[in-house]
Formats: sequence, C-alpha cells, structure tokens
Amino acid sequence: MGLIYDSMTIFKREMLIFKSNLRTNLIRSMMFPLIIIIFFGNLGNGVSNVPVAVANYANNPTSMQFLNTLESGGTLSIKAVTDEQTGLDMLRAGTVSALVVILPTFPKLQGGQPSVYIYYATSQFSESGVAIPFIDNAVSKYNDGVSSVQIQSDVNAVSTQGTSSSYRDFLIAGVILMSVAFGGVFGGGMSIIIDRQLGNIKSFLITPISKNAIVLGKLFSGTVQSTIYGILAIGLGLLLGGSIAMGPLGLVWILALVVFVAAAFSGIAIMLGSRIKTIEVYTIIAQTIVLPLWFLSGAFFPASSSPPLLQPFNVADPLTYATNGIRDVMLNGFFPLNHVILDFGVVIVFAILGIIVSFALFKNTIE
Amino acid sequence: MSSAEQYSVEIANLWKKFGDFEAVKGISFKIKKGEIFGLLGPNGAGKTTILNMILGLLRPTNGKIIIEGRDNRNDGEEIKQMIGFMTQETVVDSYLTARDNLRIYARLYHIPEERIEQKVNHALQEAELTSFGDVAAGTFSGGMQRRLNLVKSMIQEPKILILDEPTTGLDIQSRVNMWAEIRRLNKQGITIILTTQYLEEADQLADRIAVIDHGVIQAIGTASELKKLVAKGNLLSITVKPEDVAKVIKLIKSKFGLELINKDGRLEVPIEDKYLEKLIKISEVLQKEKIEVLTISMHLPTMDDVFIKLTGASIRDTTGEQQANKNIAKIGGFRGR
Repeated sequence: MGLIYDSMTIFKREMLIFKSNLRTNLIRSMMFPLIIIIFFGNLGNGVSNVPVAVANYANNPTSMQFLNTLESGGTLSIKAVTDEQTGLDMLRAGTVSALVVILPTFPKLQGGQPSVYIYYATSQFSESGVAIPFIDNAVSKYNDGVSSVQIQSDVNAVSTQGTSSSYRDFLIAGVILMSVAFGGVFGGGMSIIIDRQLGNIKSFLITPISKNAIVLGKLFSGTVQSTIYGILAIGLGLLLGGSIAMGPLGLVWILALVVFVAAAFSGIAIMLGSRIKTIEVYTIIAQTIVLPLWFLSGAFFPASSSPPLLQPFNVADPLTYATNGIRDVMLNGFFPLNHVILDFGVVIVFAILGIIVSFALFKNTIE
Repeated sequence: MSSAEQYSVEIANLWKKFGDFEAVKGISFKIKKGEIFGLLGPNGAGKTTILNMILGLLRPTNGKIIIEGRDNRNDGEEIKQMIGFMTQETVVDSYLTARDNLRIYARLYHIPEERIEQKVNHALQEAELTSFGDVAAGTFSGGMQRRLNLVKSMIQEPKILILDEPTTGLDIQSRVNMWAEIRRLNKQGITIILTTQYLEEADQLADRIAVIDHGVIQAIGTASELKKLVAKGNLLSITVKPEDVAKVIKLIKSKFGLELINKDGRLEVPIEDKYLEKLIKISEVLQKEKIEVLTISMHLPTMDDVFIKLTGASIRDTTGEQQANKNIAKIGGFRGR
C-alpha cells in the first residue's frame, strides 16, 4: 500500500484527536482574535477634528474642490500652510497630526510619482489612523486613473492602497493570519513532540509505514486544522463588524492565502518538533519565531510606522505578503495582478520550503 | 530442519556504534521458534539497542539479523508484519475510543478495509474490552489500558512478540495476570522476546535467558544452566555480627578449607556435595566458638546470584548506587581537610 493511504491513516488519527478535543481547540483558537478585535478594533472611532496641515502647490479648481472634501463632515480640521517645510515643523511640534502636500500637477501624476503626499506623526497613531484613510478616500474621488497618493511617516515613503477607512478592517487581516500561524505551530504540529513523549512515534515506526507517511499525515492535518482556525477568525472578524470590500469572491482569495500560510506553519512545526524534545523548549522557540514574523508583517500597525531599521525585515517577512494580499481583498476591494503574483509567489515558496525542510529533518530523527 | 524453520531470530556478529561509543559489540545468538527468550542486563547494557535493531528502528553498524528466514536489510516491510512490540509505557491514544485505537493500527499494518472490523472485534474480545469498545481509552484503568495496548500491538497477528519490560510498574496482581497472558500467547505458537529487570520474572517465564552487559553477552542458557555457572551444588550463606565476620572467614577456611565470600555482610560459599552434613558441622563449629549466628542457610543459587556473578552488580539501580558512593567520597574529602 502506498504513501497516500498510510498518510491518510495518520491524518484520520490526528483529526479524530482534534475532534475529541473540539470544544477546547475552538475556544482556545478564538480567544485571542476575539480579545484583539474587541479591544483594538475600535481604535480611532469617534475621533473628530483631527488637525491636518495642507500645503497646496496646485491651487487649481480641482485642488480647491479636494480641500472642500477634506473639510467636509468634521473629521478633519484643515490648517492651510504656505509650504511643505512649515507643515513638517508643525507636524514635528505636534500641533497637527498629519500634513498633506498637493503638488502643482494635481490631479495628474508628477513625473510618474504621486501628486499627493501625506506625512503623519507615528506618535499620534489613533488620530493619524483616522486621518490617513479619510484623506486617502478623498483622493480616490479624484482618481482619474493617474492620480494617486503617497503616504510618508515622517521621512519614510511607502505607497498605500485602501478605500476602507476602518482600523478594524485593517486589523482583521492580521488577526486572521495570527490565528492560522499560531494554530499551525501550537495546534496540529506540536503533536509530534507529544507523540514522541508518549511513545506513539516509535509505535508508528515499527509498523510498515514510512517516516514520510507520518510527516505527510501530520502536515495535512496541521494544515486542515489551522485553516479551520483561519476560517473561524474570518467569521469572527465579519461578525464583529469587519467587511470584505471585494465581496464574497474575496473570501476565496483570502482562503487560498490562509491554506498556504497554514501549510507553511505546519511545516515549521514539524521541523521544530523533529529536533526539540520537550514542549517547554518548543513553546519558547516557536514563539520566538512566530511573534516577530507576525508583528513585522504589519499585522497590527502599518509597517511604514515601524522604525527604519526594521523595514528590511518587513520586506523579508513572508507573512507581510499574506497580510498585504488579504488587505487588498478586504480594504481595497480588488487584487492587482502584480500583487497576486508577488503575494502568492512568496507565500507558496514559504510553504514549500517549510514542507521540504520538515520532511528532511524528520527523516533524520531516530524514533 | 533448516535453520529458518528452526529459528525465529538469528543474530550474527551484531555491532552498533554511536559515534565513539560501542553500545553493542559483536553479539550472536539464535532464538528458537515458540521460545520465550529473556534479555537480562543492567541499565545501559545494550538491551534496548538490540531490540531497536531487531525492530528495524536502528541500522546495525555491522552484522546480520535474520527474522523468520528473512534478512532485515532487504525485507523491512515483511519483517515488520511479523513482529509485534509492546513498550514499557502504555501507548494508547487516550482521547480515542478503544475501537479507534485498534482501527488505526489495523490500517497502519495494511489489513484490508473489509477485514478491519472483524479484527477489531476479535481484539476487543481478547482484551475483554468488548463492552468498552466505544469508550475513550483515557478513562480506562491501568490494567485495561495495558490489555488494549497488548492487543493493539498484535493486531497484525505477528509471529514474534517483543515485550520491553512488560510488567514494570504493575502491581503484583496485574503482573501475575500479564505472565499468564504471555504464557497463553506463547502456547499459541508466538515466539516471545522480553527484557526485564525482574530476575524472578526471567526465571519464571523465560525458556532461555541471555545476560547482557557492556554490549556483550555474558552468558546464555536456561535458568538452571545459568545457575550452575554460580555453583554446581548449593550455596551456603551465613550472616553474623559485623565484628565476627573476619573471624568466621578465617575459622571456616582453616577447619573446612572453604573460602567464604563477603557479599554485603552475607558470607557465601558454594558447596558441591554432602550438603546437610556440612551445614550441621559448620553450625556446630560456630556454636563451639561462641559466635552468634544470625542466619545460616543452604539454598540453590538464585538468578540474583547469577546476575551478580556475571555483571558484578545487582540489577537494581547500579548507577544510582555508584553515584551515591561518589557523593559519600566527596563528603569524606571535605571532612578530611
């Protein structure tokens, strides 16, 4: 009999164990996302009259119209400044939370670059967190296909997308991935250590099945279980007021990303489990790996607001691409082709690497 | 009869090195079909390493293992179907029902789907767990779990059953039951290999015993053959007050020409013939010399005696004892300064 039959036997066993602890597993997986969304999801709600400086170099009718849009609704309190430097000084002094610079060519691009720049103070997160999406949204009303906005935190420039202005939607993408990543590392995957301690691995190895069948079965069950956690987190996010700008089709995209991330982290779990003997050590090492990956991915706050030193890590973090992908779908409402290729490319390579290394390491494990 | 028909397991010149450490050094032995074979040795003697090589979990550095006429380097899967193994610890999935525990192993042993339920029912019956089939194994008593573990290890109907310390940690009642179970399985024609740290278990249960120490077989044979290695006849054993020990050794040497050996305060010497006569005479001499005899006895050598003779150690936690001695030496050193 083949590898697939054997690995399915292992898979069935893992799922039976998962099922027998279903309530505990589900409650545990929901607690953290629930707390994070409830406590942090409302960040920025109810904030109004956020002071924003505007340096208007365009001074054309469109830009005046744009300024009116910014002032409408009372969310922002606009302070006109004569030049960019004055605005930056005010921003650094804390008198304004953001600075909008409208370049002369607005609403057309300026030499291929955005014609609107936003600077914001990282220390004023809750206020700038409201102001930026609002300004972003206003710019999009003038979107003739060529105008765009560039957001800068103090001096670091990053491009952004986004039509949803809620921090909750921003956060939910990160929470979904957290559920999946932690589910993969602490859920199904950690079972390898427990199984070794209880003698199950030895019992499997004396049967005619191969080590590869054990790894494959555990990878598969780990992926399925983490995906279930991911789906729960998506459901929880929607239940708590999140929305998917792309609509139902967006769910398919999100789910695809979730499955690959789940596979990658199940692979990481088996990789670690093959080498680490005790759950205590495993927990420490797994947290040391997963927490930074998660934070650096911009799950909690825009990556642009992290210190410049950490920016390269954000680029190198595979979770960044999964987070960006989910945000494209949830906030932006569409998935640009170049993003699809990059985001899925990185996440798939990440998953494949995790899986290959897990097979290699488990093969060299005695017992 | 060819050797494959006669022997279940044939091991020739088996070596296993871990780095520089030689755990098993050129061991050879054969286990007959239908035999109960005991592997006896102190911790770290190499018993588990040998078992792991027979089970196919470890690759020998050198040497040959033939199981039921098949070389374990070539016929891995067939051999795995022929060997059942039960560890010292009870290995059952406690969250799963007894039935699911058995089903999983039936599949791992590639039993055809249509025969699995029948096998599982039979195994439950054997383990006297029929009415507990759908109950989570974690709720079972220790004895029930152990029985489930045993039938799980035998779901593929192996020809050889390897038991690694099958009764360690069991209460006396359960141990006697396990012995009966092992004998019952053996009567069905299953060859049994067991390791044990209970000397009386090897003595009672095993047809033949291999005493292993430092990766080498020190002796192999039936229990009575091994006992003869210690003494051809009986062992005379005397205990006296510590201050009389030297005097008694000297006295018996001069009067009877017998060399008493001091084993933790117990003075012993093998006697080959005229047991009763010698026992009486020695008692009389000791009485005449006004030496207070605490105990005096004549008995057949026990497996304990065999073990001490062959390994130079009592099986019960030799390493712990050595460690304790070291600690005492250390304390002594401090005092001296």
